[in-house]
Amino acid sequence: MFTPGSKYFFGLTGLSLITAILYMFLVNPSDLGAVALLGLAASGALIGAMALFTRDGDVYTDEEAVAANAVGGSPSFWPIVFAFGAATVLTGLATVSAVFILGIAVLVGGGVEWTIQNWADGASSDHEFNKFARTRAISAIEFPGLAAVGLGVIAFFFSRIVLSVSKQSGPIIFIVVAAAILTVGVLIATKPFMKGTVTVVVAVLAVVTLATAGIIAAMSGERHELAVASAEDHYDAANRECGAEASAHYDHLANNTVSLRSAVTATIFVKDGKVYAEAIGMKTKVDTITISRSNAISVMFRNLDQEQHRLVVHLGSAKVAATGVVEKVGTCTQLTGKNQEQVMTLKIPKPAAANEPYSFTVPGATGEIKLVVP
Amino acid sequence: MDIVNNVKSSSHRIRNSIATIIGIIVLAGCARNAPQDTWQPRGHNASVINHLQWIIFPMAGVVGVLVFAFATYTFWKFKDRGQPIPSQSHGKPIVEIILTIIPALILTVVGVFTFRGIFELANTEDTQMVINVTGQQWWWEYDYPAQADQGITQPIITSGQLVIPVGTKILLRETSRDVIHSYWIPALNGKKDAVPGRINLLRLQADKPGLFAGQCTEFCGLSHANMRMEAIALSKEDFAKWVAGQQKAYTSPADGTLAKEGEGVFLNQCIRCHQVNGLKKADGTPALAAPDENVYAGAVPNLSHLMSRNTFAGAKFDLLNKSCRKDVWGASSDAIGSKYLAGVSESCLNQTDLRAWLRNAPAMKPMYSDPKKLGPSGGKYRGMPNLGLTETDIDKLVAYLLTLK
Repeated sequence: MFTPGSKYFFGLTGLSLITAILYMFLVNPSDLGAVALLGLAASGALIGAMALFTRDGDVYTDEEAVAANAVGGSPSFWPIVFAFGAATVLTGLATVSAVFILGIAVLVGGGVEWTIQNWADGASSDHEFNKFARTRAISAIEFPGLAAVGLGVIAFFFSRIVLSVSKQSGPIIFIVVAAAILTVGVLIATKPFMKGTVTVVVAVLAVVTLATAGIIAAMSGERHELAVASAEDHYDAANRECGAEASAHYDHLANNTVSLRSAVTATIFVKDGKVYAEAIGMKTKVDTITISRSNAISVMFRNLDQEQHRLVVHLGSAKVAATGVVEKVGTCTQLTGKNQEQVMTLKIPKPAAANEPYSFTVPGATGEIKLVVP
Repeated sequence: MDIVNNVKSSSHRIRNSIATIIGIIVLAGCARNAPQDTWQPRGHNASVINHLQWIIFPMAGVVGVLVFAFATYTFWKFKDRGQPIPSQSHGKPIVEIILTIIPALILTVVGVFTFRGIFELANTEDTQMVINVTGQQWWWEYDYPAQADQGITQPIITSGQLVIPVGTKILLRETSRDVIHSYWIPALNGKKDAVPGRINLLRLQADKPGLFAGQCTEFCGLSHANMRMEAIALSKEDFAKWVAGQQKAYTSPADGTLAKEGEGVFLNQCIRCHQVNGLKKADGTPALAAPDENVYAGAVPNLSHLMSRNTFAGAKFDLLNKSCRKDVWGASSDAIGSKYLAGVSESCLNQTDLRAWLRNAPAMKPMYSDPKKLGPSGGKYRGMPNLGLTETDIDKLVAYLLTLK
């Protein structure tokens, strides 16, 4: 089994790997910190493997060592898996990151299996005991790992199915499948003496059905409106239309509620067709919002009217570098319905020119909120 | 024998040094003229914190002394003298219960006062005035939104020194343009972080007119230690005068003067980053600074009415020379308003530091402003670079800056 020294270093390896993965997701995958953490993990794994191999320096007696090594190692395909992983990593480095990640997974999986296999083969001179030792050591890793992969596969295929069927059918399918799983699970649980083969057959059938449906769904593609949204990019600035009317692209898929609260410098409301604003700390309504230059601030827009409205900010005009044409500068939120809200984040580097003051308006409503950048 | 004496004298020296350092630290606690002393509140919010620490510190002190005394006694009483190991027993429920109840009671008392203080400090409902505070490596910007009830009809922008009216509940809306900073003027309230993308609220209120020093308390890079601030509390009448001064329109220096030539130098050099509201280019169009094109954080201090302030470069340097500064800082609460509002005259100007700053700013205050090392910031400066101004240009600029009142 694992020696105390190897446990420590394998623990360090695991912790470093988890930290590295979190770091790569949360900070920056190409940051030096990620490289350092992965280096630490690799070093820990190397030293752990050495500690395991040498039994923390607690060497066999000569007789034990000779006897243990007299038993030939069992045939293993893990070196091939490990080599395949290494090749995939290199391919991934030259191609796409998904291949690289797959290669890392195969490399780590193959390496762990190979290490355990090698350790178990030299554990004793008893071949059967060695097999038992390997199973016992690796099961704690294999079962959760395979379960995670299995769940990932199920989630992937199921997501393909839900993305390809209509918006209304998705929840129904979800409920039916969940109810079927619950029913089958209850039936199996109430028959404790049922043969294990039946359970296996049921599970295999379910997985095959899911995989088949998933592959068919993936081949047929996402449903029409998702495909259109993906092709048009509703959130692209080019598709932003800031009038009173609904935009063909930009107003689709608006959330109409926002979680951003802490950075809101002011809230602009529209009610009974009139625009007004409130700012943090100001007891009365304000007709001017002041923000410092080059500072990212957010303004909340809340529609209290029956009709749909959007908030528009006018930021003067500027010459377009590529064409030399002077164009109006500004942006807007998406249309939002009654009691719904949108947030607009602005970073304005310069004060307004005297003849073109900055302002907020709501098309279709009266009133204007001045925007001042000192 | 000599070696023994040397060792003894060396250990004496160490002991004496330690005793001296401890003595100095203890005596420093008695200082009366300590501008950043948390035990000398000058406003309601700081007083709330002060009351709390007068409750908690003695309690913590008594507990600390008792614990150390008991531990010392235990170590001394039961130190290994070769005696047999006493018989071992598994805990005493009575002792454990007592040792749980006593800390719980202490923490309950501390908690009641602490929560009361926290809620009181967090109250912003009765705010009378709002000021936006923006931190940036390594200075603070203050902008006052228009507030008719405070006589502010046009937004005011300034930096380095926060000017507030006494007896007014001020709400600071803090944020940052680059990294996390922390705003702290101990005489007026506790600390509050200025975080990019967030707006944090801090209330200040000064009881009497005066000058209060502060310091950024969140490590923010190379010149963190030089990121200072000062708050100036003025009587309501004086504050109204200050507001009127800040809202005064820009006046260009008279033609043919050195200051007018300085305006030209400013338009050629400084306007790339520094804004002076109302300044116009030769063709009559407004001169708009573009710090976003040159500075990483996208802003630099607005120099409108520069000489109404007493400091520059993130309050690191005084605009007033030593004697004039002493005159302002040493003024009584009744006199400080008029002295501060007098601004910086030519005779009071700290020419040495201002000229040195214009000559080579990075030599005066550490900043990332070496043009060869701007890679990490995308070719933009974090601080003022050396502009390579000639002494003639500096003379002209100083003359011009003196007109910005």
